[in-house]
Order: sequence, then structure tokens, then C-alpha cells
Amino acid sequence: MTDSQTVLAILLTPLFSAVIITCFLRRRGTLASILSVSAAAVICIFTAMAISSSGGEPIRVSADWLHFGDFKVSMGFLFDGVSMTMLSMVAFVGFLIHVFSLGYMADDKSQGRFFGGMSIFMFSMLGIILAENLIMIFVFWELVGFSSYMLIAHYFDTDAAKLASKKAFIVNRIGDLGFLVGIAFAYWHFGTTNLEEMRAAVVTNPALIDWTIAALLMCGFIGKSAQFPLHVWLPDAMAGPTPVSALIHAATLVAAGVYFLVRITFLFPDSVLNYIAVLGTGVAFYAGCCAYAQNDIKKILAYSTLSQLGYASAAFGFGFPGIALFHLVTHAFFKALLFLGAGTVIHGCHHEQNIFKMGGLLKKMPITSITFLIGMLALFGVYGLSGFYSKDAILIAAGFDNKILFILLIAGAFLTAGYMGRLFWIAFLGEPKSEAAANAHEGKIIMLVPLVILAALSISGGWLHFWPQELGGIILEDLKLQKADDHYDHLHHLVLIWGTASWIVGLLGSFFFYGLGAKEDRLKQTVKPLYALLKSRLLIDEIYNYYVAKIQQRFALFLNALDVFLIKGVFVRGSGVITFLTSTCLRWLHVGDIHVYTYWFLAGLILLCALATGVCF
Amino acid sequence: MLDLLFYIFSVVTLVAAVLMVLLPNAVNGAMCMIVSFLGTAALFVLLESYFLAVIQVLVYAGAVMVLFLFIIMLLDVDKEGGIIEYKNKLMTGASFVGFALFAMMVYSLFTGGHLPEPNLLPVPENPIEFGQDVPLTTSSKSFGYSLFTKYMLPFQVTGFLLLSAMIGVIVVSKKQEDS
Amino acid sequence: MTIGLNEFILVAGLLFAVGLLGVVLRRNTLVIYMSLELMLNAVNLALVAFSRYNGTMDGNLFVFFIITVAAAEVAVGLAIVVALFKRRQTVMVDRLNALSH
Repeated sequence: MTDSQTVLAILLTPLFSAVIITCFLRRRGTLASILSVSAAAVICIFTAMAISSSGGEPIRVSADWLHFGDFKVSMGFLFDGVSMTMLSMVAFVGFLIHVFSLGYMADDKSQGRFFGGMSIFMFSMLGIILAENLIMIFVFWELVGFSSYMLIAHYFDTDAAKLASKKAFIVNRIGDLGFLVGIAFAYWHFGTTNLEEMRAAVVTNPALIDWTIAALLMCGFIGKSAQFPLHVWLPDAMAGPTPVSALIHAATLVAAGVYFLVRITFLFPDSVLNYIAVLGTGVAFYAGCCAYAQNDIKKILAYSTLSQLGYASAAFGFGFPGIALFHLVTHAFFKALLFLGAGTVIHGCHHEQNIFKMGGLLKKMPITSITFLIGMLALFGVYGLSGFYSKDAILIAAGFDNKILFILLIAGAFLTAGYMGRLFWIAFLGEPKSEAAANAHEGKIIMLVPLVILAALSISGGWLHFWPQELGGIILEDLKLQKADDHYDHLHHLVLIWGTASWIVGLLGSFFFYGLGAKEDRLKQTVKPLYALLKSRLLIDEIYNYYVAKIQQRFALFLNALDVFLIKGVFVRGSGVITFLTSTCLRWLHVGDIHVYTYWFLAGLILLCALATGVCF
Repeated sequence: MLDLLFYIFSVVTLVAAVLMVLLPNAVNGAMCMIVSFLGTAALFVLLESYFLAVIQVLVYAGAVMVLFLFIIMLLDVDKEGGIIEYKNKLMTGASFVGFALFAMMVYSLFTGGHLPEPNLLPVPENPIEFGQDVPLTTSSKSFGYSLFTKYMLPFQVTGFLLLSAMIGVIVVSKKQEDS
Repeated sequence: MTIGLNEFILVAGLLFAVGLLGVVLRRNTLVIYMSLELMLNAVNLALVAFSRYNGTMDGNLFVFFIITVAAAEVAVGLAIVVALFKRRQTVMVDRLNALSH
């Protein structure tokens, strides 16, 4: 197969799987699961083939799809270094999660629907990664949103899932509105939406960079990657099954936003970049704080994801898109590991999700706990593990840029260690605090293998020397850029010290504050106001609810009244009434009385006379 | 002299017409109608179209009115008691319009604002030359020439019309066979 | 003669008005029909007058055709009236009305 055919096959395999599952395998859950997992494996194989045969050169494919006069929409692939890196990560992590869900969803009644959704999701995500122009990205962007909606609502007999999926979709949509306007703007400005052509145009003429286009396209990123103020959907999305949370809301979908930014990095002027840096740092800190008031293991991990996404977008904002991509990849490894670990824990504790009801899991589920610990350490940025390299680079980038943001990001690292430590001490150590935890059992082998593999990747993922040479080109460039700076050495030491200090202090601090296997949240017991503040999460959800319920609903009702009154009443019924009146009047023409006919003749005669003499008209 | 004749015959025509409208008995009305047609024929003679005057008497007063009389007597309609009933407002309104038309015309006779009147040229006996348009003469030769040159199509069509009228009458008045 | 075109037109117009009144005011179908013929007659008069005063043959020809057509029309119309009478036993217009009002 040629390169372009391989790339096309990568894209179409999950689509094929999804179509087969939807048409035939809805009831045959096991078959559906096998098909979906095989599709994921095939994607991995094809990815490897495509990358090795490309030899580091980008593969470009393009086909014209629509013509509207001068406006051309084409569908095509731009398979360059950035997309190769992202694709390898998505394909491999996706495959592992598929394998995990074989075990996790084994006793679920609607496996067919689940795996169909997973396949469609893989298709949409791969589309975003491979796309070569903004419109194609947008199409697959929407498809990803749809798959997320479908998968979150997997347990659709619970209210929480239904509401969460609606919320996710709607909030994403709000961001996509800005995205769409940005695409239109970009087309108007550049005359094309093709990424390479836009980059070429900007390189030759830097004056073409327009902050409005960047800001609008950023809206899509804000919606998809759950930045402030559209971050509200991510914690609620935890109502979906755990593999979904792992794949979509940790590794891939939320990363799609940052990936998109990396793709269009040439469009961003400094002003917008600064804004993104501030935004990212803010979210990183804010989410870190909120995680202290959560009791659900998945919600804690969700806030952790928010925080890490903030780090990645801050890295982008500081002008190092390669570092952002690096952090995405490493984050995918350890966050997927953490989520899958949480999934095993939940499965083992018979669907108990409150950490205060768990405890003593280290003894009952050793492998899970060890891998969870490894994932946590990678998240903290312990020296040598994958998270260290990417977080280190981000902190150095912050140091170059802005003192305040640097301090906030370091504080965020402290907070991260703190709340993850809280999670670990309470849930994994100590004594079991409920029946379910006491009867916890280790996961099946098919669920443990992905955990082990991901743990290995979390450890080794940061060692860039071992990466295949085609991948990570942009990452290496950015690191070299950092090293070349004057302040690098000084900052490097500073970050090393503070980074190590943060995780040690955070872990030990949470150990002493919360204690092993605590029954109740000590923060809640001691410093009630602080706990309440953290739990409120700045009341953003409540503000949105108020706005939708009071303001938007009233406006919608007003429009509805207008519609009923004006459109239905006046125009539709009104035209009917007019026709009725006209017909009633015309009926008088046909009475059967000859004299009446003569009167009508007379009337016509008079009219004719009037016209002829010029009295009227 | 001719003016006097004009006045007499127009009065006769108009009075007969009014009588026809007003008389309750249909037969009487038909007779007055015949008088009116005769008056019109006289007016035609005054206008020196003798052929048409004769045709008027023959066809209208002779055939059409006779037919009318036949039917009236066949149907044996009773006298309408009080023919003019101003039953409804519409009738009043319509008749008002008719009266107004009437009055307007009388009025316009006595006021100015006449259309420019062409002068009365003498009409020759026989047609002298025939071009595209046959000139006005008093003889029926002009009629003949015009009918067969300029008005050939209407002539033929009228023939068809008469044929279809005949057939129509036969069909309409056929007795319905009760099977 | 010194009678002008206008006088002839006036006579024709008056005849027409009388015919119109007859159509509007009478209830007997046959009388209405006769008034209709009266109106046609008025038109004939006007046409012949125009033809005489303008010195063309066209008006006379037109009258010729009108008379022909009127005769045919009367024949057919009266046949219809007779058929109607056979069905309804009346020729009074207000009693002929079959449409429910």
C-alpha cells in the first residue's frame, strides 16, 4: 500500500467498525467488543507502518469535496511530525483502553452501543489529528463532540448521565460558535482554510496575523479543552463509564483542543498568547484548589485533568507549542493510567466511588495500587518519570516569561501533590471503611495488562532519546530553544529544587493532615469556611444555571409567544382568514338570482365607465 | 323635413321601448317591441342604409319577435301583479344606476362638450372604384363586395354559428325519452 | 339634414338605458330577454350612425353580423327557456333560483 492509502486506512478502519456494529451487532455485545478492539489494533499497526514508511517526511493527500463558486472545500490529510506524534499516542493509548474495556464492560448490557461509540470516537479523533484544513477539523470536531455526548450518556437511565451529556454537548457548542466564526474570518482573510497554505502566507507576510482570528479559533479550544469559562462540563462528564473518562476526558478529546492550537500556532500574535498563558495558569491553580473538596475518585481525577490541561495551555501561551504537545503525550499516559486504575478500583469495590468509603485497597488490589502510585508520581513530576520532563519544561518556560505565573504554577504543583496524596492515603491505605471495600478483589488479567503497560510508559515516556526519530521533532526543537536561552541554567536548578520540594511537601503534608484511611474529610471538619469555598468552585455552575433558567428561559418564552402570536396567529391563521373572507365575498357572485348577476354586470359597467372617463386610475 | 322625421321616429322608438319595459302583460310588451323595432328601421332609413333597414324589419321584427310571441303564448304566463317591486335595496340601487344613465344622457344633450362632429357627406348611388376598403354607398353592392373580400372570415364563421345554433335548438328541445 | 351624430348617439344611449332598466326591474324571463334585444338594437343604431357619419362601410357590416348572431341567439335562448319551463313550470326569475341561499 502506498503511504496515502495507509493513512486513509487508518482513518477508515474505526468508521468501518462503527458502521458494522451499528447495523448488525447492536445486540451481540461480545462480537462488537472484539470488532472494536481489533479495529483499534489495526489502527496501531497501520500507524506504525505509515510512520516508518514515511521516513520523517510529511505525507500529504488532498481531494476536492465541495465547490461553491470560488470557495473550495477539500478533504485531505497532513501527516507531518506533529500529527505523527499525536497519532501514535492516541492510537496506542486508545488500543490499551479498548482492551481494558473488554474486561470492564464485560457485564454491561449494552456493550454494542458502547463499542460502537468508541469506534466512532476513534474515527472522529483520528480525523482531527490527520486533517489538513480548518473546515475538515471542524467537521470532525463536531463528530468528536457527538461521540462524547453518546458515550457519556451510556448509562442513560440515570439522570446524572443524561444531564451531563447534554451539558457537555451544549458547552462545547458554545465554543464551536466562536470556532465557526473564526473559520469564516480566516477564509475571508487568507482566502483559504488549508493549514499549510495559511502558514506559508503568514511566513511570507507576518503582517497578516490577526488577533481576532486567533481569538475566535481559541474559543473552540476553550470549549473542547475545558478552559475557563467553559470548564463546567468536564467534572460532570464523569457520569460516563470509566474507560470513556479515560479515553475521552483524559487522553484524547480534551487534548484535541491543545493539539488544534499546536497546529495553528503560526496564527497567534503575542497578545493572544499572553491571554492563553494567563488563562491556563488560572485554570491550573483553580482546579487544583477545587479538587480538595471532592469525594468522588473520578471527580478528583477530572479536576486533575483540568489542572494539567491548564499547564499545557500555559506552555502554549508561553510560546512553546512543542512543550505543550509533549505534556499532552505524557499526560495521556499517566492520566489514562490513573483513570483505568480508578476504574479497576470502582469495579473491584462493586461500583463504589466515594473515597471515604474505600480504604485498605493496597492489600486487596496490589497491582492496581502500585500502578496507580506510579501514575501519581509521574503526575507529580518526580525526577526521571515522564511527567517530570514535560512539567519541568513548562515551569522553565513560565520562568522565562512571567514571575507571577511561575509562582502560581509552582503552587499548582504543590496543590497537585496535595490532593492526589489525599486521594492515595485515604483510598488505598488504612482500613476498609465499607462492606464493598472489604470485599474488594483484584481486577481481571485483561484489565491489569493495560495498567502495567501504561505504567511502563509513564515511567519511560519522557526519555526522548528512545522515541522513534520521526516523532517529537517539534518537541526537541522547543527544548533546544529553551536550552539556548541565557537564563536556562539558573532556572533549571530553581525548577528542579522547587519541583522536587513541591511533591515531597505535598505528599507528606497531606499524609499528616488527612491521615491514613480517614473516615471524614479533615478539612471539612476543621476549617469549614475554606472547605465550603473550595466546594463551591467559585459558583460558576450556579451562575450558569441561573442564567439559563432565569434569563435565557424568559427570552425563549418570549420568542415562543412571539412565534405563536405573530407567526402562527397573524401570518398562518391570518392568511387563512383572509382567504376565507375573500371566498365568502366571492360567494355572493353566485346566488342563482339572475337579477343579482345583472347587478354585478352593472357594477362592472360602472367600473369600465370610470376607467374610460379617467375618474379613477 | 328629415329632422322632423328624425324626431318623430326617435320618440316613437323610445316610447315603445319604455312601454315594453313597463307593461305587465308580456304579449303587450312584445307588440310594443315590434313598434320599437320598426322605429329603429325608420332611423336606419334616415341614415341611408336601406339594406339594413329591410334586414331589421325582416329578421328582427319579422322573425325574432314572432318567435318571442310564439313562446310567450305557448308558455301562457300569467300577469305579474305589480311588476316593479322595490323589494331589496340592490334592486333600488341598480335601477338608480339605470336612471342615472338615462338622466346623464339627456343632460349631455343640452349642455356643451359634444364630440367633434364630422360633416355629412353625400353618399353615392353605386360604388365607383374598389380598393382595399369598399366605400360607403347606399346600394347593397357594397355589402356584397365587403362581405366577400374584407369580411370573408366573419362571414364563414357566422355560417358555422348558424349551423351550430340550429343543431343546438334541436338538441335542447328534444323530448326526453323515458326509458 | 342637420341632425348631428350626437343626437343619434343620444337616442341609442337612451334606448340602451331603457333596456338596462328592463333587465334589472322585470321578473319575467321573456321580458328580460326582450330588454336584452333592445340593448342590442341600441348598439346597432349607434354603429350605423357612426358608419354613416364617418363614411365607411365597416359599421354597417358589423350591424349585419350582429343581427345574424342575435337571431341565432334568440332561437337557442328561447329553446332553453321552453325546456326550463317544462322542468320548472315557471318563468319567474325569483322562483327559478335553485341555489339554496
